Amino acid sequence: MKLDLTIDGVPARIEILLPPPACRFLFNGDERAADVETPEPGVYSVIMNGRTYDARIEENAVVIDGFRFVIDVRDPRRLSRAPSGSGRAGVETIAAPMHGKVVRVLVAPGDRVEAGQGVVVVEAMKMQNEMKASRAGRVATVPAKEGATVAAGEVLATIE
Amino acid sequence: MFRKVLVANRGEIAVRVMRTLREMGIASVAVYSDADRNSLHVRMADEAERIGPAPSAGSYLRIDRILDAARKHGAAAIHPGYGFLSENAEFADACQDAGLVFIGPSAPSIRAMGSKTAARRMAIAAGAPVVPGTEGPVTLAGARDFAEVAGYPILLKAVAGGGGKGMRRVDRESELEAALRDAASEARRSFRNAEIYAEKLIERPRHIEIQILGDRHGNLIHLGERECSIQRRHQKVMEECPSPLVDLRPEMRHAMGEAAIRAAAAAGYYNAGTVEFLVDRERRFYFLEMNTRLQVEHPITELVTGLDLVRLQVQIAAGARLHLKQRDIHWRGCAIECRICAEEPYNGFLPSPGKITRLTRPLGPGVRIDGAIYPGWTVPMEYDPLLAKLAVWAPRREEATDRMIRALREYDVGGIRTNLGFFRQILEDPEFRAGHLHTGFIDEFFERRRPPLPPADLAAVAALAAALHARSRSQAEGSTSTAVSPWLRAGRSDLLR
Repeated sequence: MKLDLTIDGVPARIEILLPPPACRFLFNGDERAADVETPEPGVYSVIMNGRTYDARIEENAVVIDGFRFVIDVRDPRRLSRAPSGSGRAGVETIAAPMHGKVVRVLVAPGDRVEAGQGVVVVEAMKMQNEMKASRAGRVATVPAKEGATVAAGEVLATIE
Repeated sequence: MFRKVLVANRGEIAVRVMRTLREMGIASVAVYSDADRNSLHVRMADEAERIGPAPSAGSYLRIDRILDAARKHGAAAIHPGYGFLSENAEFADACQDAGLVFIGPSAPSIRAMGSKTAARRMAIAAGAPVVPGTEGPVTLAGARDFAEVAGYPILLKAVAGGGGKGMRRVDRESELEAALRDAASEARRSFRNAEIYAEKLIERPRHIEIQILGDRHGNLIHLGERECSIQRRHQKVMEECPSPLVDLRPEMRHAMGEAAIRAAAAAGYYNAGTVEFLVDRERRFYFLEMNTRLQVEHPITELVTGLDLVRLQVQIAAGARLHLKQRDIHWRGCAIECRICAEEPYNGFLPSPGKITRLTRPLGPGVRIDGAIYPGWTVPMEYDPLLAKLAVWAPRREEATDRMIRALREYDVGGIRTNLGFFRQILEDPEFRAGHLHTGFIDEFFERRRPPLPPADLAAVAALAAALHARSRSQAEGSTSTAVSPWLRAGRSDLLR
């Protein structure tokens, strides 16, 4: 099993040669041995070179001893392809930063906005976050509705 | 003594109060909104009553529904916790009218201290030093006149304020008009009162507060100070007792304690309360405001004085005389508290509600946790992001700091983002360790902070764990359709090829 990944944005490659518990793997070409157990779901207890580590899986990261590694696992065959891009050139998508509630929509489709202008206000846990346009442009769509609950990453507005 | 007490709150403070009630042999009644049916305070209480929908305006702030619940369950008294209705004089009055004991001060005391300007006048009359400021609310012209005399920078504050809302720093006259407008509109939104007053800004102040305790028979004592200078967005996130500054100067503790007692006495205060002071670089202290309730950070005072403040609150509310005299209060060792919140410190402290998938809590010597979370529970988005308070005690500040770092390393909350790692970095900061604290500490910390470099093998271990996790997920494929993160999905599709 070979995987290409990025660790905090830096490309890396891992290949599992022998599965746990007596695990052998190649990390960026170096062969290593580690004793691996899964004492709790999402927690990997690793003993490597006599040192013990508790690696905890989070949504898109692995946390060990307070250090957080944001890890992106990629399909190696897709790596050579040009990135597909996140939409049309020149379109800015404003997405909800967290699960929350839309408390105010400050623009309507067709409005001109300046860079830094507030577009939508999302509230969660008593904190209001004003989502701002990162550049000047025209508001294309505003899927956000006042009072609606939105998931993290949900598109609130687009600017072109 | 009361046989049954209703706790008009939720989350960790409701659980905290119920623990003491149970130790006292008093039955507890929980109230809950639709978002909190599965919350720990409901599960822990002896009795429970639904009071409305998730938004607090329809539930935890509904005086009528809370009183109905108290009557229905036959509670003799109500503990308001902190936040929600705890500093609402109308609520205290309504309890009394309904024949229920409000576990806190009298409604007139809450009123006297509830308005910042009225509280200032009371403190001045009681001889407690205050920051130079306007006597009451100001217009633009009034604020400009004040600033001309006092000098910039000044601070605009909401008369009905709290929690940093409706507060603006003004460095020069050209900023004044916009700042006043912003502050007033925020104050109107937060407190339904747009009145703003102005104070001279104290640069790099320390926030040090005095815990006081009084009975209904005129006895009033103080339990020493807490230092709460580590704040984000004007809200405390880490507190310690004693203050590293005051601890070296017993005469300062005595003077601040006396000032706090005088201010409280002027308001006819009884039960537990906290008088907050700002301390400037010359170690002069100024009355800031009084909180007429139990504070979030009360556990550190409990750890250092050996007292149970909730028990004392309940006894006082039941009419008992305070058996403690000032000379009975001793401060032993040092306690630190971290407010563990569902938020991302390195992303503007963005809230992070969601489901807790995994939870390991620190144990061992000198550790106390006041929390209301459990694995499998979904942190609701409607309320404060505070998950738990982690407090440690040790004989000396240095040892307490090391103990807190140790406890933070043991603490694991999976599924949501928390500020656990952020606290560790602050505790390791040399300025913190030297006790050089002020309310702008976190802002400056962000500027000087150099994220520590992970040991060499850590990235390899992280990659191994990620790869093995992707593999195990792919093996479990089909048995579950729950959402998995993109990188796990990508890893899985690779393996299935």
